[in-house]
Amino acid sequence: MATVSLRNIKKTYSNGFKAIHNLNLEIEDGEMIVLVGPSGCGKSTSLRMVAGLEATSEGDLYIGDKRVNDLEPSERDIAMVFQNYALYPHMSVARNMGYGLKNQGLPRDEIRRKVEKAARVLEIEHLLDNKPKQLSGGQRQRVAMGRAIVRNPKVFLFDEPLSNLDAKLRVQMRIEIKRLQQEFATTAIYVTHDQVEAMTLADRLVVMNGGKVEQVGPPLDLYEKPETQFVAGFLGSPGMNFMPARIQGQALLVQGDHRIDLPDMAELAQWDGRDITFGVRPEHLEACSEAEADFHLKVDIIEPLGADTLLYGHLPGSDSLMIAEQPGKRRYTRGDVVPLRVDRERLHLFDAETEQRLNE
Amino acid sequence: MIENRPWLTAVRHLVLILGIIVIGLPIWIALVASTNTSASFVSGVMPMWFGEEGLNNFRRVLTNEGRVLGVGVSASWMMWNSFIMAMVIAIGKITISILSAFAIVYFRFPFRRTCFWMIFITLMLPVEVRILPTYEVVASLGMLNSYAGLTIPLIASATATFLFRQFFLSIPDSLAEAARIDGAGPMKFFKDILLPLSVNNIAALFVILFIYGWNQYLWPLLITTDENYYTIVMVIKRLMTAGEGNVPWNIIMTTTVLAMLPPVVVVLVMQKFFVRGLVEQEK
Amino acid sequence: MHDNVVFNNKVLPYFLLAPQLVITLVFFIWPAGQALYQSFLIEDAFGFSREFVWLDNFIYLFSDDEYWNSIRVTFVFSGLVAFSGMAVALLLAAMADRVIKGATTYKTLLIWPYAVAPVVAAVIWWLMFNPSIGILAFLSWTLGHQWNHYVNANEAMAVVVIASAWKQISYNFIFFLAGMQAIPRSLIEAAAIDGSGPFKRFWQIVFPLLSPIAFFLLVVNVVYAFFETFGVIHATTLGGPGNATRTLVYKVYEDGFVGLDMGSSAAQSVILMILVITLTIIQFKFIERKVQY
Repeated sequence: MATVSLRNIKKTYSNGFKAIHNLNLEIEDGEMIVLVGPSGCGKSTSLRMVAGLEATSEGDLYIGDKRVNDLEPSERDIAMVFQNYALYPHMSVARNMGYGLKNQGLPRDEIRRKVEKAARVLEIEHLLDNKPKQLSGGQRQRVAMGRAIVRNPKVFLFDEPLSNLDAKLRVQMRIEIKRLQQEFATTAIYVTHDQVEAMTLADRLVVMNGGKVEQVGPPLDLYEKPETQFVAGFLGSPGMNFMPARIQGQALLVQGDHRIDLPDMAELAQWDGRDITFGVRPEHLEACSEAEADFHLKVDIIEPLGADTLLYGHLPGSDSLMIAEQPGKRRYTRGDVVPLRVDRERLHLFDAETEQRLNE
Repeated sequence: MIENRPWLTAVRHLVLILGIIVIGLPIWIALVASTNTSASFVSGVMPMWFGEEGLNNFRRVLTNEGRVLGVGVSASWMMWNSFIMAMVIAIGKITISILSAFAIVYFRFPFRRTCFWMIFITLMLPVEVRILPTYEVVASLGMLNSYAGLTIPLIASATATFLFRQFFLSIPDSLAEAARIDGAGPMKFFKDILLPLSVNNIAALFVILFIYGWNQYLWPLLITTDENYYTIVMVIKRLMTAGEGNVPWNIIMTTTVLAMLPPVVVVLVMQKFFVRGLVEQEK
Repeated sequence: MHDNVVFNNKVLPYFLLAPQLVITLVFFIWPAGQALYQSFLIEDAFGFSREFVWLDNFIYLFSDDEYWNSIRVTFVFSGLVAFSGMAVALLLAAMADRVIKGATTYKTLLIWPYAVAPVVAAVIWWLMFNPSIGILAFLSWTLGHQWNHYVNANEAMAVVVIASAWKQISYNFIFFLAGMQAIPRSLIEAAAIDGSGPFKRFWQIVFPLLSPIAFFLLVVNVVYAFFETFGVIHATTLGGPGNATRTLVYKVYEDGFVGLDMGSSAAQSVILMILVITLTIIQFKFIERKVQY
């Protein structure tokens, strides 16, 4: 078990493409860190650099107190679970799990003992003599996890391990991974593009975009106070509604003429007359009486999900899409005009140019 | 079956059977001829049914009784030469090709492209188009009349290298990465993972290359003057010109049966690998 | 972004490549260079004198009727071998594709000729067409024709074409059959629902889908007919009668090893190399296109 430090890490490919600009991250012992972001954001590259599968162009990488930049992957005391599992097709499950230990020169009966122990934890004892081909997707996933656990590494690395599973299995394995990681209390870095997976698994979340870190913090902090418009839009489903707006005294003019009175904010004066982006999550738009309404949503599409109903529509006189999430008990029909009120505690203001958060 | 038209099915079978008969006719002729006396080929129409001389013919050819082959060595010795040639070429080509493909796919090093193109070029230079200079090189290396001369110049193979390269490229990178994390160095990865995964490809290539090696004609013709290195395939032509006027067809056909037997057996026994290996080449 | 170093060992790859590269250099590239060099020289048969003559060897070749004859013979021969071998194979594959009973047996009985050396095939067919005792010559005689490939140029050509194509049938058959079996059943079924009969379906659906394979086979067969049929000619017609079956490869051999005309033989080698290179490029253009697809 160990801490992991990434200090001023940069990665530039030979063709000049800068995959990672300047990555700084301190991961605590036993912590589960999730790197999340759209494809090409550099999350996988970062993970592979920690694994030693890709060289770092600049910066220092520590596992524990040891600088590992120049160590082979096998010398870094890590274990990795790959997206496609990367099980050796011609070896039995037991040999797959024990291959690393065998290369370390452990005696055969000790390997057998460790493999059986890990198999028991993962409930795959009955599969030990099977070949990967004979296993289901979920079972392969477990074997891949087993191969990681058996080595008892300082750090677990997960590279989108659940994306090849169907939706139901994914939820099940997500819980399993969380349980195992807590049980072993091993430091873990987990890469995914799935924000639900990211939110549910992470102790701390790292949102990346274009080779840079956008924000680091506990999942709910990021959900509640996204530092940038990117983070605000990336986390949460369906995504946050964004609209161009302007500050005028104590109020916000959204899309020209929708006026929203703002709660007291000390900074308001200095933003007076400034172009900003206003953001509100669909779940923070409440249906209200005509008198209280900030917006009137003309409903185009209704998605009843049971617990909630999603309303897709637009504001009269505008064609930009707006989504509102309402409790499922009320029925709507296409063409309804729904008066909505913005939850004043949960609105987000971003600088239109820098896309940085403005309000506290 | 989409529709059931009995007459069409009958036509299919009929055409196939006819095809098999036409294609099989030469082997019938060869087998029949190898069981007859040389006298049956002097006049009239050649025998179309088996004679009594089969065992006798094969014994005479295999032991070269009474110099029946017109050379100093027996057919069994020449089959042995052919076998060595086929085996060394097949195993040699597979070995150097799989190593080259491994280097090209799993390493990055200066001149990697140059190496790749050099191997590629061999595709465009079959022996037949550079007969004389290749002969001169082999002669100047003192490799005439030797097993080394018979085999080594034919061992380089772009086709086999490409086949392995294609196969290695189809193996996910993560497998090699997992092996690296598991502490396997390159040669250990090659031995423990790549080689076992390549077994089917190796078997398929073996069939094709064994046949290629066994059936070589021009090359042994050029570089062997010592009868001890003659192969069974090249001696047949010698027999045709040996007995001026009175061609010993029964002996020739006995020899051709012996010459085609091993490769045909290999194809039939390893049919599955062979068919797959051939079709893969196109990719 | 493919500079993922899988293994970063600096020396090992060179060791792995060394055997292949050494053999390639010594036995392929060096002789090819020699051929190119010699094609600019005139040398007497005993190697006492050599003279640099630039393109004289090539100019001489192309002003030589015999060489033009060889070119013509080679193209006729290759065309016939490729066409007849592919036509028969296509017919058999079309028949075998839809056969259920005995499919494996048919396949086995059709693929074994691949294993037979061209020269062996040639000798057997040579015997079958033998003017005095051959069974096929006899059949032709009963039909009122006196077969004699020793004097009749067309008949000599026919024998070497048949012997060469015979062996290729199994190769072509395997590819055509694999191609047909790769065509999705649903496509054929859709056509059947659209009301087209089995023959129409073959020409309108199966055949067009096979055209990439047919093209690949065409190149392979032409290359085969060009370069791998030396034994067929050498064991039977020896290029005759007259020059009727003297292909380019056979002529290179004759001029070099029998005539000992090094310069001319080398120049012919160079021309052949250019031919193979062209054919290889065509073939790879095709494969490239397929890979993208």
